[in-house]
Amino acid sequence: MIFFEFAKRNLARHKFRSVLAILGIVIGVLAITALGILGNSVQLAVSEQLCMIGNELVVYPYGEEAISEDNFKKIEKVAEAIPVQSIGDKATLNGESTFVMVYGMRSEDIPKLLEKEAGQFLKHGSLNCMVGSRLADNYELRVGERAALQSQKPRIVGILAERGVGFDISPDNAIIVSDKMFDLMYNTTGYNSVIVKVEKIEDVEEAREEIEARLNKKEEVVMVMELKMIVEGIKGLFNTISIFLLGIGAISLVVAGVSILNVMMMSTVERTKEIGVMRAIGTSKRGILRMFLFESLILGAIGGVIGAISGFGAGFLVDVLILHEASYLFAPSSILYVFVGIAFGVGTSVLSGLYPAWRASKLKPIEALRHE
Amino acid sequence: MNVVELVEVTKVYELPRGSVKALDNVTASIEAGEFISVMGPSGSGKTTFLNIIGCLDTPTEGTVDIGGENINGLDDEALTKIRRDKIGFVFQQFNLIATLTALENIEYPMILKGVNGHEEKSKELVSSVGLDEELGENKPNELSGGEQQRVAIARALANDPDIILADEPTGNLDSKTSKDIMQLLKDTNERGKTIIIVTHDPQVASYTKRTFRLVDGRIDSDGVFL
Repeated sequence: MIFFEFAKRNLARHKFRSVLAILGIVIGVLAITALGILGNSVQLAVSEQLCMIGNELVVYPYGEEAISEDNFKKIEKVAEAIPVQSIGDKATLNGESTFVMVYGMRSEDIPKLLEKEAGQFLKHGSLNCMVGSRLADNYELRVGERAALQSQKPRIVGILAERGVGFDISPDNAIIVSDKMFDLMYNTTGYNSVIVKVEKIEDVEEAREEIEARLNKKEEVVMVMELKMIVEGIKGLFNTISIFLLGIGAISLVVAGVSILNVMMMSTVERTKEIGVMRAIGTSKRGILRMFLFESLILGAIGGVIGAISGFGAGFLVDVLILHEASYLFAPSSILYVFVGIAFGVGTSVLSGLYPAWRASKLKPIEALRHE
Repeated sequence: MNVVELVEVTKVYELPRGSVKALDNVTASIEAGEFISVMGPSGSGKTTFLNIIGCLDTPTEGTVDIGGENINGLDDEALTKIRRDKIGFVFQQFNLIATLTALENIEYPMILKGVNGHEEKSKELVSSVGLDEELGENKPNELSGGEQQRVAIARALANDPDIILADEPTGNLDSKTSKDIMQLLKDTNERGKTIIIVTHDPQVASYTKRTFRLVDGRIDSDGVFL
């Protein structure tokens, strides 16, 4: 292809200028690729953490004080369900009196929802308790000590790992006791909430509808909260952040495009006479157009590939430094940004070359020949 | 057969300071195999005359036939094809393409036309204009003026055109080299090519068999004066 060969040689004729033009594209593509990968990795990391609670539903009583045992059984038929009793109460810890949340759960359910930091989980029907990490820190509680709650003095057998504010339960400032102990202390019936765990996040909607159909048949007795909605809100936020980062990358690519435009304009003006000669001896307008487009294509392709590779490298560094995790780098959605970067680099370059190439092809041969 | 047939050709350029008549009702016929010089003071319309024959410019009025084909009203693509296939250009400043070697410059019109065996043919052309084949590997800036003009003549001959148009072909050469180049053009004419040279040098014109004189866009002397 003769015009491709021309393009190569013309770029080689002004090596320094071509290298600078390529550098502009490299920086733009690097920014797009690296920021794209970063945004995507953050999003993946957050979704991975949110995913663990995204498949939960929380059922609260509606119009009644608690969810009855009958209704709990109905919920249990839909999916795995964890009944929770809860109450705010005054407790005495290490001699100090404080207000805490007290959760009553079946002993076997506790490990399904919570992790421990020290000691052990409650045994079935245990009259001991576990305490949240914040309580343990604030009151210097250790495994083996006793808490005072109502008329009971349960022994602390385990300390829970920090969990943060949960959408289902917030255990950090709470005391967890077995259902038997909870009944013993507060003598309540029914449950304050039921946490339903669905296997796949896609099944959340269906489970919610089924629970509502089974329980709210005659009148509304429960309210079902979906954590998925909250998760999606957060994901949406990160999506916006990703787009913002890409926007920054896109701006640097626009700057690169302008520099390509500049280089190509210079080169059409410099080569006016040569274009005239080429046209005079039988080169078509299309030939001239192609020659210049190939030049911008070559600049874009070289810049795009170098930029994408270095962007991938930069993405790796940022992932390791900020997220301390490089596995998101090889996720298909991250790799995609490498190709997106190349495509944008080539696209910008060719787009910027379009006008100069068109102008060069429109030159009238005799006028171009007269140009000195 | 007439390779060039101009009938009542007028060319008017619209310039900011008014319109200029570069050619005024010019009628001229050139037969195949003629060797012609076009002379006249600067601004007399010599180059316009050459550009119209070379299909680089189109007349405002009148008809132009090149190689038996009427070019009035042809579009840019068709004119480009005529320039590629029927006309060879030789310029005062040689105008070789700087990024191509001498041989590649000669091959280029053949590649545009899609001629097979252009590498072989370009080597033949290099020796036919009196250059060493090794010189063919050089870029234009590594050649002397005379050598560049020889390459340019070889390039003009590449697609075996009907007409060779030369605009002041010796204008940038010393007198010794000028003589060599004129001898080469004369030899080329003797091998059957129609050659039209624009010049203001009587020495150059003396090589040709017929001279057109242009004054104020009108043809004098050997042409048909109207």
